Amino acid sequence: MKKASKMLALLLALAMAASMAACGSSDGASAETTAAAEAAETEAAAEEGAETEAPAEEAEEPAAEEADAGEAAGEKVFKFATGTEPTSMDQSKGNSIADNEVQRALQEGLVRLINGEVQPGLAETWEVSEDGLVYTFHIRDGLLWSDGEPLTVDDIVYGFKRLVDPETASPYGWIAGSDASHILNADAVLAGEMSVDELGVAKVDDSTMTITVDTPVPYLLSLLGSCTEYSPVRADYVEQYGTDFAATAEKNVYSGPFVLTSSENQELHYAKNPNYWNADAVNFDEVVQYIVSDDSTRVAMFDSGDVDYVAIPNEQVPLYEGQDQSYQNGNDDYLYINSASETQPLLQDANFRLALNYGLSRTEYISLATNDIYDPGCTFVLPMLSGVNGGTYGEEYGDKLSAFPVDGDVAKAQEYLKAAGVEDPSSVTVELVITDAESEKLIGEVIQQQWQTNLGINVEIRQVTYSEKYGTVLPSGDYELAYGGWGPDYDDPNTYLALFNGNSPYNYSNYKNEEFDALMAAATTEQDVVARMDMLAQAENILLEDGAMVPLQYRTVHYLMNENVTGINFTVGAVNFDWPFGDIAQ
Amino acid sequence: MSKYIVKRVIAAVLTLLVLITVVFFLVRLMPGEPFTSEKLNPIVKENMIKYYGFDKPLIVQYFQYLGNLLKGNMGYSMKYTNKTVNYIIGSTFPYSADLGLRALAIALVFGLLLGVVAALNRGTRLDVFCVILAIIGTSIPDFIMGAVLQYVFGLKLKVLPVAKWAGFKYTILPSCALAFYTMASVSRTMRASMLEVVQQDYIKTARAKGLSNFRITWKHQIRNAIMPVITIMGPTVAAVLTGTFVIEAMYAIPGMGKYYVDSTNDNDYSMILGMTVFYGAFLIFCNLVVDILYGVVDPRVRIGK
Repeated sequence: MKKASKMLALLLALAMAASMAACGSSDGASAETTAAAEAAETEAAAEEGAETEAPAEEAEEPAAEEADAGEAAGEKVFKFATGTEPTSMDQSKGNSIADNEVQRALQEGLVRLINGEVQPGLAETWEVSEDGLVYTFHIRDGLLWSDGEPLTVDDIVYGFKRLVDPETASPYGWIAGSDASHILNADAVLAGEMSVDELGVAKVDDSTMTITVDTPVPYLLSLLGSCTEYSPVRADYVEQYGTDFAATAEKNVYSGPFVLTSSENQELHYAKNPNYWNADAVNFDEVVQYIVSDDSTRVAMFDSGDVDYVAIPNEQVPLYEGQDQSYQNGNDDYLYINSASETQPLLQDANFRLALNYGLSRTEYISLATNDIYDPGCTFVLPMLSGVNGGTYGEEYGDKLSAFPVDGDVAKAQEYLKAAGVEDPSSVTVELVITDAESEKLIGEVIQQQWQTNLGINVEIRQVTYSEKYGTVLPSGDYELAYGGWGPDYDDPNTYLALFNGNSPYNYSNYKNEEFDALMAAATTEQDVVARMDMLAQAENILLEDGAMVPLQYRTVHYLMNENVTGINFTVGAVNFDWPFGDIAQ
Repeated sequence: MSKYIVKRVIAAVLTLLVLITVVFFLVRLMPGEPFTSEKLNPIVKENMIKYYGFDKPLIVQYFQYLGNLLKGNMGYSMKYTNKTVNYIIGSTFPYSADLGLRALAIALVFGLLLGVVAALNRGTRLDVFCVILAIIGTSIPDFIMGAVLQYVFGLKLKVLPVAKWAGFKYTILPSCALAFYTMASVSRTMRASMLEVVQQDYIKTARAKGLSNFRITWKHQIRNAIMPVITIMGPTVAAVLTGTFVIEAMYAIPGMGKYYVDSTNDNDYSMILGMTVFYGAFLIFCNLVVDILYGVVDPRVRIGK
């Protein structure tokens, strides 16, 4: 096809050139007409060619449809479209939810988190030492890679070591360290201060391995079950392909429910992995993921029946009322407040920060800025995270938190403003940093307008690019207020609260509160899960009473799903759209 | 002629070198950095900076880049971390070029036809129709054209697929959407140029000689009038063949268009450079071909050199 078109163009060009060259000769009357005629003929032939091609294609089509029909007899094919191209197909180098969702289908970790529950994976059983510091995993017998080679404890241990090896330069290497997993020596290995062999992950024998942490981590198993960067890796493939490892489908091997058969042309093709230990639980024979960056096109592909699942862009949600379903993706958006701001010293005062919080009607904001699609956020930690008594964190601790009133409280906001020593609000100007995304512009304007009306202060909006925001603006503290958010890396309030630790590299708010830091430190070593969770809730309360940030919203995603498809989970954390164990009725 | 071509090629290589140098240093002045995400911590960032060799002095990096480029190696993308720029361009350009060639064929055939017909029937209803078509073509942006075609033929009439690139049927809508603008500008240029040629003395001479209308139109008018169209073809071919952000995104065609915009947004230095070098080289090449074509079409250019 492609060749044909190139040939065609070449012919056209040649014919043109020939006819023109002929025109150049002085006596080329006859030559010229022949050339012209030839050119005309070629063009006509080309046109015809194009036309004759069409029936040929159509002739192929029924064949393809027959193949589909063949599939209908036994093969289960699931097709869906997503918007983000995975940044890497290397399991150690995942850097986004889109990356993790791909790897979750292709690789298997020690355990697998399914709908919030830790299920056995490569490890059949495991136990945790009494002090909560050593995890021993008993690996299944007879595990195989997709190419039929045995999957060994060494492959699993190598996966962990490769992730933190500075040479790998994995963007998610930090997940092993003290910001999340607390694996022994992970920070030092990452920083190049220790050899990768000193990482607290070790092979005991051919079917046993241990992970040692430097402090009890109640959420470690759930993190191991969702973080695809902890997947096993085949050292021989890494050696063979070097930096090209996993660049294409055949440059990697797979341990999970599916193998990748192609990742070319913005399409990912998956086929069921017969060597997967739990292959019986896998229903789809084939899965196709189309990467379609245009929102409307994606939805159009669902409308025309080309795909079985698609997320709806926010502005089109009203059009699909009644047909759509929704889930919360765990993204928690809020305004960063630079509480050490020198350009606006008022932000150092908790009273002023509270005035900002009370001066915002979140109901009105949600309706104006998000079309009522998102849920208003009146507290900081995502309420849908798991609690300790079988409920969610929000259900168990929601009423103990000093949540901001959802409609705001202008009188109270004015009081806080006075308490902060502001006599003339119109003389106060704060600057709000947003990115150049269209949706953020609206968010900025709604907040600006509300604070101007409710508090009488001025808000200046500064637009920067995404990479400027996270590359320079936030890390350097060169801002007053900034719109941003955080998705949970694991199912525990710590994933949010740690952002305000005085020494956290993510403490873009430059927030410093000794009481908070002490409580967080105590929670880290607390072994009793309920007492620990109480402490975390107290810590969140300190942040809220201090107005450390302005919580705005919890994001909801609306989607369309073919009604024959079942068994697909939507979760928060490393993965949102968890499809590998879904099913499709024939 | 060969001396002329050699001169042009040398100039082209120099232009490309200047382009690479300017872009190499300009991208480093862009606000932001390539490794940015809300979850990247400082130690990890250090590791990534070392991995990509950004810890070396800029001038060293520049000569390394030039050295690698001479070997045809444009490095790894910083966003799509295990893909090389060569691989990304190599796997996306064929789609963009395929789409572009189809669009170009449509645009040239119909654009020239409309232009010639309009000029030959100057002042008649046919002319007005052609002119209106050309105005519509140049004033409707491709994202509207693309969306309308997709909606009408894909979603309402359901005769053609709405997106993807998997066979002839899939190519029709995007090729037409992309061709429309070029077709309109070709027809406008051709019409204007034809009208000028018609009034030349040699046309009167040809008529006086008693040549047939067909001979006059084909040999004398079109051939002389086509020069301006060839002129605009250089940049047009380069632009159309190397991918279009809007049409490719709208029809989910795996071409290279999206990487122009995305690489700039992501501060993906190696990708920005790779795309610029590729586009620049291609544009220079197209202009070179146009220059040579001038010589072929118009003997006066040849004699002049």
